[in-house]
Amino acid sequence: MEKLVHISNLQKIYPNGTHALKGVSLDIYKGEFLSIIGLSGSGKSTLLRCINRLHEPTSGTIEFSGKDVTHISGSELRQYRKSIGMIFQHFNLIKRMSVMDNVLSGHLGSIGTFASLVGKFPGSVKEKALNNLDIVGIREKADLRADALSGGQQQRVAIARTLMQNPELLLADEPVASLDPATSHSVMKYLEIMNKQHGCTVVCNLHFLSLVRQYSTRVIALRAGEIVYEGKPQDITEEWFKSIYGEDAVEVEIE
Amino acid sequence: MNDKVKIYLLDVFFGWYLAITFHRVFYYHVLLSTDSPDFTWNLMLPYVGVAIIFSVMCLLTGASLGKKIISSTQKGTWQNEFAINIAWILILMTFVTSWVVTKVNIIQMFDHERLNAAGRLFSSLLQPNWNILQKAIMAMIETIYLAFLSTAIALPVSFLLGFLSARNLMKGNPISFALYNILRIITNFTRSIEPLVWAVIFTVWVSSGPFPGMLALMIHTIASLAKQYSEQIEDIDAGPMEAIEATGARPIQVIWFAVVPQIVIPFLSFTIYRWDINVRMATIIGLVGGGGIGSMLIQYQMLSQWNEVGLIVLIIALVVWLMDYLSAKIREALR
Repeated sequence: MEKLVHISNLQKIYPNGTHALKGVSLDIYKGEFLSIIGLSGSGKSTLLRCINRLHEPTSGTIEFSGKDVTHISGSELRQYRKSIGMIFQHFNLIKRMSVMDNVLSGHLGSIGTFASLVGKFPGSVKEKALNNLDIVGIREKADLRADALSGGQQQRVAIARTLMQNPELLLADEPVASLDPATSHSVMKYLEIMNKQHGCTVVCNLHFLSLVRQYSTRVIALRAGEIVYEGKPQDITEEWFKSIYGEDAVEVEIE
Repeated sequence: MNDKVKIYLLDVFFGWYLAITFHRVFYYHVLLSTDSPDFTWNLMLPYVGVAIIFSVMCLLTGASLGKKIISSTQKGTWQNEFAINIAWILILMTFVTSWVVTKVNIIQMFDHERLNAAGRLFSSLLQPNWNILQKAIMAMIETIYLAFLSTAIALPVSFLLGFLSARNLMKGNPISFALYNILRIITNFTRSIEPLVWAVIFTVWVSSGPFPGMLALMIHTIASLAKQYSEQIEDIDAGPMEAIEATGARPIQVIWFAVVPQIVIPFLSFTIYRWDINVRMATIIGLVGGGGIGSMLIQYQMLSQWNEVGLIVLIIALVVWLMDYLSAKIREALR
C-alpha cells in the first residue's frame, strides 16, 4: 500500500510542560480508515493537530506524499492544510452565519483575500457547496443559521465544509463524542462515504470500540503519548482493551 | 522582605496613624472644637516617636495587629483581643477623621435660614422658565450630536485597537506581543484620566466650546471601547478559529470569518451603550466649557437664575432617561 503520511519519532511538549507525544512513529496509508483510540489526555488530539500543523511539533518529522512538511510555513503551509480536511467534537461552525456560508468557508484557502472578505464566491463554488449539502442530506437547511441545527446536522455541515477542500486526508477529532448513538452512526456513515466514494483517507479519534470495529480498517492505541497497540480492529482483545484503558475499564457498546 | 520586618513596619504605621489622628483630629477638633495647628514637618517627630514606642511594645508583648495580618496570633489570648481592638480603633478613627475633614455640618443644614434658601431654590426649580425652551433644546441637540460624533469617530479607532490589544490574537509572536503590551499601557493610562480632565486639557488647547468637549469624550471613548472590544475578543470560542485555520485560510480570513461574526453583536451593544454614557458625560463636560447644555446650565447657575436652571435640569433628565430606555431596548433586541 502507498504511504500518504509518514510520521517518525514525533514529540510534542506544550509550553506548560505537558509531554503530550513521546516519540510517535506512524505510517498512514492511502485510502485507509484509521482509528486512534486512547483515554482523554493520551495525545490523540495533539497527534491530529500536529499532522495539519495547527500545533507545532517539538521534534520529529512529518512527511506528506513523500514531502517533509514539518517546518513549512506561509503559503506553503496553507496549501498543505487545504489538502487536509478536519472535523471537530464541537463542530466549530460559525454559529451566527448561515449553513451555506459555513460550507463556503471551506473554500477560503482557494479564493483571493478581497473576494472572500466581500463574500464574492463564484457561482460554481456556490453550486459545489449546495451539492455538498446534498451529499450530507441537508440541502434544504442551507439558509438557516448554523446554530438552529441539531448537533448531528451541525456535524454534517462541518463535513460539507471539508468536502469543499476535496481533501486527500480527513482528520476527525472525536467527531461523535457529543452526539447520541443514533446520530453517531449517521455521522460515521458520512465519513465512510467520504472514505469509500471520495477516496479520502480518514484518521479518526474515537472512544467507542464498537464504532472502531464497524468503520475502521486499522486501529492504533495511544497511552500517555506512546503507541501501545497497532492492528486490525477485530483483533483488539480483552487484555488489550484493559492495557489501553486501564484495569477497571469495561467496554460500553454503542448500538 | 522578611515577615518580621513587615510586621514591625506595619505596627510603626499603625502607631503613627493612631498618634496623629488622636492628637490632631480627636484632641483638637473633637475635644477642644478648634482647628489643629498648621502642619509642619517638624511636628511629625513626636508622632514618629510614639509610633516607635508603640511598635516596640507590640513586638515585645506579641499583642500586634501587624502580626495578626502577616502571620497570625493565637485565638483566645489577650494579645489577639488587643490586636482586634486596635483594628476597630483604626477604623473608628478613620471614620472620625473623614467626618472632620469633610466638614460635616448637620446643624447648619437644617438651620432656618438655610432651609429657606433651599426652599426658594427648589420652588424655582419646580417652576421652570419655559421662555428659554427653544434655546435649551438647541443646546441639548448640540450635546447629543457632540456625543454621537465622539462615539462615531472613536469607533473605527477602537475597533482596530481592540484587535491589537486582544491577548489571544497577539501572543503568537514576540513583535505583536510587544505591541500588545505597549497598547495596553497607553489605553489603560488614557482611560484612567477622567473625561472631565481631558475636557480641561482640550479647552485650554482649542479654546472652549463643543469641539474640545467632543475631543475629550472621543479620547476617553477610544480607550474604553478598545478595552471592552479586546475583552470580548479574548472571550470568543477558539474552535471556529481553529476550523477556519485548518481549511488553509489566511490569518485575515480567519479573523473575518471566525472572529468577527462572534463579536459584531456585542460590539454594537457596547457602542450604543457608550453613546448613551457619552450623552450624560457631554452634559458634565459642558460644565467646564465643553459646550452644549452643560455650558448653558453652568452659566445660569452662576447668575443664580434658578427657574432657567430648573428647565435645563428637566430637559437633561428627560433626555438621559430616554437615551437610557432606548439604548436598553436596542441592546435587548440585538441579543
